[in-house]
Amino acid sequence: MSLDSDLWWAVARSEEVTSQKPLSVDIGDQPVVLWRDNQGIARALEDRCPHRRAPLSLGCIRDNGQIQCGYHGWSYDGETGRLKEIPNMKDQQKFPPIYKANAFAVTEQAGFVRVCLNPKAQAPLSADPKYTYVGTVNVSCSHQEYLNALYDDPSLILSVRGVRFSPYLMSELHEENGLLVMERNCQWHPLHWPSHFVAEFPLTLLTRTHPLTGETQLTLRDDQFNDLLHAVLSPVPSARGVTAVRWRAELGVRHPGVRGAVLRGINPLSVHASIDGSKLRATKPTVSLHGEDLRKAMLETKPATHDQTVAA
Amino acid sequence: MLETADRPVSHDDNSAAPSGGSPIALNAINRWVPHNLVMRDSWFPVAHDYSVTGKPVRRAVYSHPIFLWRDNGVAVASEFHPNERITRDKSEFTNAQGRYPVMEHYGVVWVWFGNPLAADPRHLPSLPFLPPKGGLPRHMTATVRFESSAPISLENLIDLTHADFLHADVVGDERSDSETVETFYDSETVTMVRTCVNKSVAPVMKFFSGIKQPTQNVRQVIRIYLRSHCAIAYGRFSPGDDVPLFHPCTPETRDRTRMEMVMNTSNAGLMFRHVMPKAGYKVSRQDSYMTSPQSPRYMRHTDRKDLHSKFDQAGQRYRMAMMELADRQAKGDFDYRDNVSADCSDIIGLRKELFQF
Ligand code: FES
Ligand SMILES: [Fe+2]
Repeated sequence: MSLDSDLWWAVARSEEVTSQKPLSVDIGDQPVVLWRDNQGIARALEDRCPHRRAPLSLGCIRDNGQIQCGYHGWSYDGETGRLKEIPNMKDQQKFPPIYKANAFAVTEQAGFVRVCLNPKAQAPLSADPKYTYVGTVNVSCSHQEYLNALYDDPSLILSVRGVRFSPYLMSELHEENGLLVMERNCQWHPLHWPSHFVAEFPLTLLTRTHPLTGETQLTLRDDQFNDLLHAVLSPVPSARGVTAVRWRAELGVRHPGVRGAVLRGINPLSVHASIDGSKLRATKPTVSLHGEDLRKAMLETKPATHDQTVAA
Repeated sequence: MLETADRPVSHDDNSAAPSGGSPIALNAINRWVPHNLVMRDSWFPVAHDYSVTGKPVRRAVYSHPIFLWRDNGVAVASEFHPNERITRDKSEFTNAQGRYPVMEHYGVVWVWFGNPLAADPRHLPSLPFLPPKGGLPRHMTATVRFESSAPISLENLIDLTHADFLHADVVGDERSDSETVETFYDSETVTMVRTCVNKSVAPVMKFFSGIKQPTQNVRQVIRIYLRSHCAIAYGRFSPGDDVPLFHPCTPETRDRTRMEMVMNTSNAGLMFRHVMPKAGYKVSRQDSYMTSPQSPRYMRHTDRKDLHSKFDQAGQRYRMAMMELADRQAKGDFDYRDNVSADCSDIIGLRKELFQF
């Protein structure tokens, strides 16, 4: 996992970032505090007060949109990170420029709040699709292992209502426009032949993954090439090897019959909060082994940039 | 407007050693890694006297085991449990029998951690508001634990601006007509005196001492005995009560702190006398909410300097004084250059008439 400072990480879902309560997230080892200022703009500072290192996420958001540390009440501006006020010092409220917390670049799109550790980074452009189904889980598994699990057996980390992932790939992991793309055959659950004897698969799951952030777009298609479900899954490396995963999903075309109806029931997609360790260790690296080589080769020839944010 | 003063305690002319020792550059404040400071040749308060009985109880100073019990009523502090099958060597901090020097004073059991031959009651911190022989009612005592290094807890204590903010619901907010802070120090202590005129009345006093006025004058003193990590927190509120608190921060490990608190509220009104010591539980949880996440962030040196405001002067002095002492100890110098057992009533401004024993 690389924490290239120019990457944009989808560290929160838009609705998780409020002006009521600061949100604490990580990008790798870097704790980040997120909140919304009085203009509704999402802000991100290091989650560490430069006064005595208390987490700013334990503080509060003031009416003027500044974040206030809960320890001694120092207040910071979200855009620049600069110290704006110290209680008891109402007479002097101008501070030298070094009086600041590190501010990170923030952008909000497609229902995600994205943060880039480089404050000067240019925000990627993207459309603003609608997503009905959302979730956040923190999985005790490293970022790379999490992605490997997705490649080798998606059922380790998620399930799609009424759908069973088969071990048969329609297309192995390959590069397409700077993304790692693969397509897996799926069946309707539970009425089906054992997958080894199936002549035609009714469904496929297409995944397109950013080689650095691991942000993945998932599309479930039927054999008539209808997109039945679309989702974005954003795994972010967090403290202690945990991977924080935010996701959003939206149903597409309605597949006819009972099966299509099942898929449209409550929560078509669920992303698991934990991974079964016995299943995980027994899962052979059928895709991920080669995927790792591919990823390295890709990064050597053409370093990925933030423009390839998959939700774009 | 706040004014600060920071100066060494003046010494008698016949005092030999200059206070403060060799000046450590102010940027010593930025090399503050409290986790690495280990103080020795000092009395550490480890238990309220009533908790030591015939049955051994376990304590620690910097992870060194201490078992306490009474032999014919006399407190014993041993490195080994009486039932222990001894499989480890005795440390250098105990005598041939594996016993630490121990004494009882102010209702507290103190263990000497350091060279056992250097143990001397003269190095016991002066706490003039506590009866020397103990005996305060138990509701004026408590045990509180912090998941932070002892110096972090003490830095929290000596920085009084956090109280207005973090403990506003207990001690009142920061509004006052004027505020002055002064810091005094010698090689073994740092004392801060904060005076506020017409400060918002502490909610606890409003409710439990029946204070009707909207404001009160406040004089707060924090005095830290560096080696033993003990502090005195003494507040004089007028109108209001005199609340002297013994606030030790015993480093049971380098980042876990035990406080055998004693608050002498004998002179306060009936309600307040009972409620105030309990407020300590609430206040300590509030502190812990900040100091627990703070502590690991001070375990390693970082080149990033902490930012300071003019209110942090006492805390900065504490950092400097601790590092100076640690520096001396690192060079093998464990001598006391200042007398910690000399009565500090005048320094803390104790109203002695209220505390006659
Ligand atoms: S630690 Fe944040 S204001 Fe002091
Ligand atoms: Fe406090």
